[in-house]
Amino acid sequence: MKFKDYIKDQAYIVFLYMIMIGLILWMMISFHLNQSLIISIVMIIVIFICLIMIYDFFRKTSFYQSYYSMLEELDEKYLICEMIKEPDFLEGKILYHSLYDINKSMLERIGELESSIDQFKDYVEMWIHEVKIPLSRLTLTVHNHQTEINTAVLEQVHKLENQVDLILYYVRSQTAQKDYLIKATSLSQMVKNTVKKNKDYFIYQKVKIILKDLDDVVYTDSKWLEFILNQILNNSFQYTQDCLQPTIEISTIKKNNQITLSILDNGIGIQESDLPRVFEKTFTGDNGRIQKKSTGMGLYICQKLCQQLGHDICIESKYHEYTKVMITFHNDRFYDVLQ
Amino acid sequence: MKKILIVEDDQELREELKILLDNAGYCGMILEDFLHAKDEILKINPDLILLDIKIPYMNGELLLRELRKETQIPIMMVTSLNNENDEVLSMSFGADDYISKPYNPTLLLLRIEAILRRIQPEVMTLSYHGLILIPERGILKYQDESIILTKNEMLILKYLMMNQGKIISREDIMMDLWDSDEFVDDNTLTVNISRLRQKLRIFGYAEAIETRKGLGYILV
Repeated sequence: MKFKDYIKDQAYIVFLYMIMIGLILWMMISFHLNQSLIISIVMIIVIFICLIMIYDFFRKTSFYQSYYSMLEELDEKYLICEMIKEPDFLEGKILYHSLYDINKSMLERIGELESSIDQFKDYVEMWIHEVKIPLSRLTLTVHNHQTEINTAVLEQVHKLENQVDLILYYVRSQTAQKDYLIKATSLSQMVKNTVKKNKDYFIYQKVKIILKDLDDVVYTDSKWLEFILNQILNNSFQYTQDCLQPTIEISTIKKNNQITLSILDNGIGIQESDLPRVFEKTFTGDNGRIQKKSTGMGLYICQKLCQQLGHDICIESKYHEYTKVMITFHNDRFYDVLQ
Repeated sequence: MKKILIVEDDQELREELKILLDNAGYCGMILEDFLHAKDEILKINPDLILLDIKIPYMNGELLLRELRKETQIPIMMVTSLNNENDEVLSMSFGADDYISKPYNPTLLLLRIEAILRRIQPEVMTLSYHGLILIPERGILKYQDESIILTKNEMLILKYLMMNQGKIISREDIMMDLWDSDEFVDDNTLTVNISRLRQKLRIFGYAEAIETRKGLGYILV
């Protein structure tokens, strides 16, 4: 708040004061008062009016200045009520109290929404666990009663499982709640588990798998990482569908004390123009449009999960040649604490 | 025969699980009375328990803790809750293993086998017309002579012996190998089979594994 703005705001008062001084001056002159008396009375009035306005200006400006600077600094602006002191002038008090009330009602509303989201999330998780029971039963039944349709049924069950997992991890990736646990985990174990999970596809579609240098131990949540790997593998399966000699290579690269897991396939690759957007929600790109099987959620969820786990995920690709997904496990002090 | 107790409240799933265990040569049993689960389990005294986390009247983890106070029966947690926290919690309460639904039946059996072997190390042997296979040592014996098999050869022979007289497709053999972390492809399998045949020839069993064109192999 500048003094000029303040005067502009107070213009009507200044204007009334001036009329008042004019009237007093006119009266005193008409009564033929002593000239020096007139001057001193007017001086006194003017000085006091100035003093009052300056005092008022400083009182307000000190509050508003700190209010604005705090607002500027705060990332979450709604916390302003917790930061400012209640001012001692009426307008300030009105502002303060209404801010407080608005904030309170907003927090209540957010609380309601949050709890309804939580309830929804709980329900979805519960539902997923319920769905897994018939899925397990189906898998067991198929295993126990060998027939020719087995592989077809298993393939569909497998797809269902993947979709159910996708929604489970979507829910998990969306909430700030941390239901993961980071501990030292063998990279090769996680990779092998994921490969085993997809063995049907590998064997029946004759996809060659190469595992190299996976002896490292990384700090991560094995369940989450296995989900991420599973998504990446399933993407690779889609990319290599029309390949003559489909090959997927999983290996690690060590650089500057950082371990990077790379999953490389020799499939159709991703067009350069699509590459920067592959992690966007519901982005399907050219590949998705051609194959009509993509929801564009897989990589988005993977990236979200990697963010929470503190890993970097990136994609490198050359159209019609290869796609390479890399997950970098940072080796920083946060993980030293865990050790 | 090893008794394996299934603690699971879904009727159809546990019936199916029992069939799986019975087919694999165990004696699958089902816990019916969840109200007195602990006493019931102690009375049955199984060799291994498959324990679901979500069971009526109490929580599986609680039951696990109660059981651990009195017995060291191996317990494998089977659950649809697929998260690391539950796994760590279960293991810290004394579970021997943890597998999440929906599981791969072969993997479940492999893990059960692993636990039982850890608890009671007895050497499993398979025999076929005088040939004796000791999978753990990777040794094939005939009378007093023995030869060493590689892991792949051993796994292939074991699978064929367990399914003796049935035609086994190449894919079936590969699936079995993959479950044991041997990610072989078509060519490697061909090489492994021919090496296995060569080794069998030493004992005069060259014709034991027959190729059925378009179908797979059979141990006659």
